[in-house]
Amino acid sequence: MTTVSPNLALYLSIAIYAIAAGLVFLSLLTRRETLQRFATAAVMGGFVTHTIWIGTICSTTHHPPLTNLPEAASFLAWLLVVVELGLLFRYKVQAAAFFVYPLVVILLATAAIVSEPFAPPTPEQSSKIFIGHLLLTLIGIAALLIGLAFGALYQMQDRAMKAKKRGALYDWIPNLRVLDLVSYRSMVLGFAVYSAGILAGVLYAYNRHGALTSFSAKELGALVAWVAFAAILQSHLSGTFRTKKTAGVALVAFLAIVVSIFGIDRG
Amino acid sequence: MTLTLIGVNHRTAPVELRERLSISKGSEADVLRPLCSNGGIRGSAVISTCNRVEIVVSSESDNIIEPVVELLAERAGREPESIEKHLYVLRHRDAIRHMFRVASGLDSMVIGEPQIGGQVRDSYQIAKNLDTLDSTLYALYEQTLHVAKRVRTETGIGEHAVSIPFAAVELAKKIFGELSGLRALLVGAGEMGELTAEHLKGNGLDSIVVANRAFDKAVELAGRFGGTAAAFDTVGEQLAQADIVIVSTAAPNYTVTAEQVSAAMNERRRGDIFLIDLSVPRNIDPAIADIEGAYLYNIDDLSEVAEANKAKRLEKAGQADRIIEKEVDAFLKRLATQDAVPTIVELQRRLEDIRQAELEKCLRRMGPVTAEQRQAIEALTTGIINKVAHYPIIRLRESASAPHEGETIRETIRKIFGLR
Repeated sequence: MTTVSPNLALYLSIAIYAIAAGLVFLSLLTRRETLQRFATAAVMGGFVTHTIWIGTICSTTHHPPLTNLPEAASFLAWLLVVVELGLLFRYKVQAAAFFVYPLVVILLATAAIVSEPFAPPTPEQSSKIFIGHLLLTLIGIAALLIGLAFGALYQMQDRAMKAKKRGALYDWIPNLRVLDLVSYRSMVLGFAVYSAGILAGVLYAYNRHGALTSFSAKELGALVAWVAFAAILQSHLSGTFRTKKTAGVALVAFLAIVVSIFGIDRG
Repeated sequence: MTLTLIGVNHRTAPVELRERLSISKGSEADVLRPLCSNGGIRGSAVISTCNRVEIVVSSESDNIIEPVVELLAERAGREPESIEKHLYVLRHRDAIRHMFRVASGLDSMVIGEPQIGGQVRDSYQIAKNLDTLDSTLYALYEQTLHVAKRVRTETGIGEHAVSIPFAAVELAKKIFGELSGLRALLVGAGEMGELTAEHLKGNGLDSIVVANRAFDKAVELAGRFGGTAAAFDTVGEQLAQADIVIVSTAAPNYTVTAEQVSAAMNERRRGDIFLIDLSVPRNIDPAIADIEGAYLYNIDDLSEVAEANKAKRLEKAGQADRIIEKEVDAFLKRLATQDAVPTIVELQRRLEDIRQAELEKCLRRMGPVTAEQRQAIEALTTGIINKVAHYPIIRLRESASAPHEGETIRETIRKIFGLR
């Protein structure tokens, strides 16, 4: 059996993203905006090697990079970078990088450390419903995480403006309307796709095991995350998303997502 | 060519003297033409704003201060001695640095203010139209405008608002982004309120509703802003439609209450509201700050924002000065090279004249030659003069960056080769 030996592209990606994350935090300390431009350039470089790594998985295993934790973590990190770069160029929101870059480094480092064997798809894993479940869930998670990052920025800026005290990121965070728009749209899109992904998973489980769920950590995490994200969306609709309660629910959603990701291929 | 800048500004001269020295639009020719008719002065330009009157001249000698001071004193109706103590005279490097700093807003009363850039551009245009710029002043102005643009882009020195109305605009943009499509409610007719509304309108705000106890005044103000007037007792109802509320009245109690804003927020369902209280005593209930989606700033809060931004601009000024110092060095080098060019061209022409004359003499003595032979002789003689000119030209170029040494070398080479 071939093993996932984290190749040069993966190590390079981790190193480059780590440099980018270091640069954005350094820019916070030195207040030098130039460092953020270097960080963006670094992330673009990291994205190239990251794409090579994703391509390597696909060409080696002949299936999408979804079937175990290293693959899914790498793919999720890749999606996050795609969305982050897209939003960066569209809205010039550098501040989201403070959340997204470290998360990307953690996900890729997880892929390198776990180093599970490649999982050639079993016949049941080759089913379209299963692949659809994994793909939709990961895309949904990426959009929801971006929504959480922008929501966190919104809360920070809202509090800074209310308290009339400028936080460290004040100048680099865009206006509240953009933050609200990006956060809300990412949440709506992410929630819809994530729900479809979970539904596909339930269908797959029912077809395969004759039960809707096996109450594994992964499944419970996904369920808690779904409920938490639904609550956050509801708070957006009712106009109460600025509250501390919503911030707490967002934290729960994030932790539940982490549990569900780490539960991939582990029951 | 030497550059000299002579002038007064808000730090060196009182307003009484500045207004006497000021050169009004359309009368620049009365100053620049007489200066350019002075033998030593090759070009001149003037920058005259409410904070400064400066004359920059390009000359062959350093001895041009007296006529400039006399001209300024004559215009001010004073004796030259009485204005001298207020004047600063900056030579070459200092003059260039000063021009760059002025155009970048670093020498302004409010650091980083953008108007001065346009005023320097106007002064360039006027001198250009009057044909009082020589090549050195042309180059100086072009470079000055380039440096000012670079400083503003790279440091963002003018980005932070340093006045109360601009601070309000900056905060509104931090909440709503673009102001187009927004609606403001101006309550009262206080001067600061009017000014703030004017700035918001200038930054894209769509509509303004003015409510005032004296309805006539509300109608007059609304007319000025292209908005509508509303009765003072409808303020509560107007809040539900307003994105920005500016209150500036002399009322001794709260004109906008927390209950009114809460009701307005419920009616709106979504969307933030930015309330600006410019009144003393305060006219907006401070409890409004606790309502979700309501951002309340009073006059002290806005002053603090403006003060914090001033400190930021000072920080950026240091960064700007470092850029300017590098630009001054580069420009001096360019000017010096420009000074060396006439000597280099003249030297090449002189040697070519010698070559041509000697070649003619030689060919006459030799009698008929074939085309190939003539070509060979041409190549030989051209090669010789190029070799002779090579080191002097290299030295002229190398010494260009050191003004005094460059002048000595240019003089020596001109003497040795008998150049004019």
